[in-house]
Amino acid sequence: MEPNVEAVQPQFRSGISGTKPGGMGFVFDDIHGLIPGPPETDGTSFTALLELPPPQAVELLVKEDFPAKSMPPPIFPSNIALIDRASMFSVFASADNPPESTNILSVSSSMKTDSVKQEPLESEHHRNSSSPAVSNQSLKSIKRKEREKKVKESSKKSKKLEANEASDGSGEQLPYVHVRARRGQATDSHSLAERARREKINARMKLLQDLVPGCNKSLQISGTAMVLDEIINHVQALQRQVEFLSMRLAAVNPRIDFNLDALLAVESESSIDNSYLGMFPPSIWPEGQLNSSRQQQPWLLDGLHPGRVDDTSNFITQENSLLSYDSPPNSASLHSSQLKMEL
Amino acid sequence: MAESSNSDANSRKRRKIDPDSQTRWRSEAEQRIYSSKLMDALHHVRRPGSGGHDAVRDAADRVLAASARGRTRWSRAILTNRLSLRLAQINRKHKKAAKPSAGKSCSRKPAKKLPPVESKVKVLSRLVPGCRKVSLPNLLEETTDYIAALEMQVKAMTFLTGLLNAGAAAPA
Repeated sequence: MEPNVEAVQPQFRSGISGTKPGGMGFVFDDIHGLIPGPPETDGTSFTALLELPPPQAVELLVKEDFPAKSMPPPIFPSNIALIDRASMFSVFASADNPPESTNILSVSSSMKTDSVKQEPLESEHHRNSSSPAVSNQSLKSIKRKEREKKVKESSKKSKKLEANEASDGSGEQLPYVHVRARRGQATDSHSLAERARREKINARMKLLQDLVPGCNKSLQISGTAMVLDEIINHVQALQRQVEFLSMRLAAVNPRIDFNLDALLAVESESSIDNSYLGMFPPSIWPEGQLNSSRQQQPWLLDGLHPGRVDDTSNFITQENSLLSYDSPPNSASLHSSQLKMEL
Repeated sequence: MAESSNSDANSRKRRKIDPDSQTRWRSEAEQRIYSSKLMDALHHVRRPGSGGHDAVRDAADRVLAASARGRTRWSRAILTNRLSLRLAQINRKHKKAAKPSAGKSCSRKPAKKLPPVESKVKVLSRLVPGCRKVSLPNLLEETTDYIAALEMQVKAMTFLTGLLNAGAAAPA
């Protein structure tokens, strides 16, 4: 024990000189202040306290209360466990003491550069979980900062902590409001990451809900299961439609030779969208119209023209000419296409 | 707009599908491109004995995937898995004939996770080609794009069918 205390003393000394890094050392000092060791340590701890800037001294004193109440066992790690518990209590309890200390801390750590530099260090410690006391310090400081400063700044800092969420955080301010509400969890980075992940998923589900026609009824993201059901049904229906249409196309396929070239020419000129409506029976006439007139017109309207008899005859004659013209190149293309198919 | 989002995404080491997949697949130009490419493909599938509707469907899917320009996972899966899928299907058919179906269901029922959400996610991942081992947010993105693309495909094929039907019926 004594060698442990002596070993920590130089750390204690170095801890005084720094401002924020001293915070870590001060925690250790607490422990060794409690240890019924040689009077030298006590004397040095008190003088050290006097040397401290007042806010941090107050913080120390506040912290001392908690460990003092519980049993002061001499073993090092269990003291850390005590301080863990103390920090947890201080976080959960929205009592007077923690807010005061938070104010004090915020004042002392209002120098952002130092604090920001410390945060990634502390977060690394937190992640590696090498020293729980340090991690809890960092947790506390992070949580207090999130309390004090409003959404944006805290979101920025927590963004730095979570490398994964950096890309997503800029667009969404909402998750970090939720983060603040859910602070009381054991491992903060995990819950933050989870919350951001959930937000991503929910945003995409919303997009899907807009796309799938049956899903807009409930305003909320009603039970992921129902929405997923709808999505699955929609995808299956679309796939079935494609299969059905491909069957029909395959049935029509042998007769493609006649019209293919003419239709290709037609398609490249006309606007395809308009033709979706009036397709099957009246579409014969619009085709004739287009072949003869070569204009961009809505196909439905073309079918209503009175003088269509002549055009159909024109169409037929054109078709016959196309037929005769196309058959030799079609046969040649057939051979070439068969070769390509085999390849 | 797709290119800019792509360049940003590349810097983040993650390829993002452009968020407005709806407008992409619903634009007129895209439909025109798809229809013309489909006609071209149908030219080549004209051998009447081979496969019939399956060949047409595969051709349609391939053309659809091609017009996605390789930015989405399902499109890449369709384009690369043509042959391997066929072989896998043949193998699966052989295996199905050998194994009783009860064996399969027994092996799947004692699942670790029974949440219905999880099982539905798996079903969905099976539906979207090439997305079996994809995480949930990516899967949802792929599904969005896939649904939009399928809708365009249905529209285009309906149009073409009507066109060809009418065109073929006219001289008759």
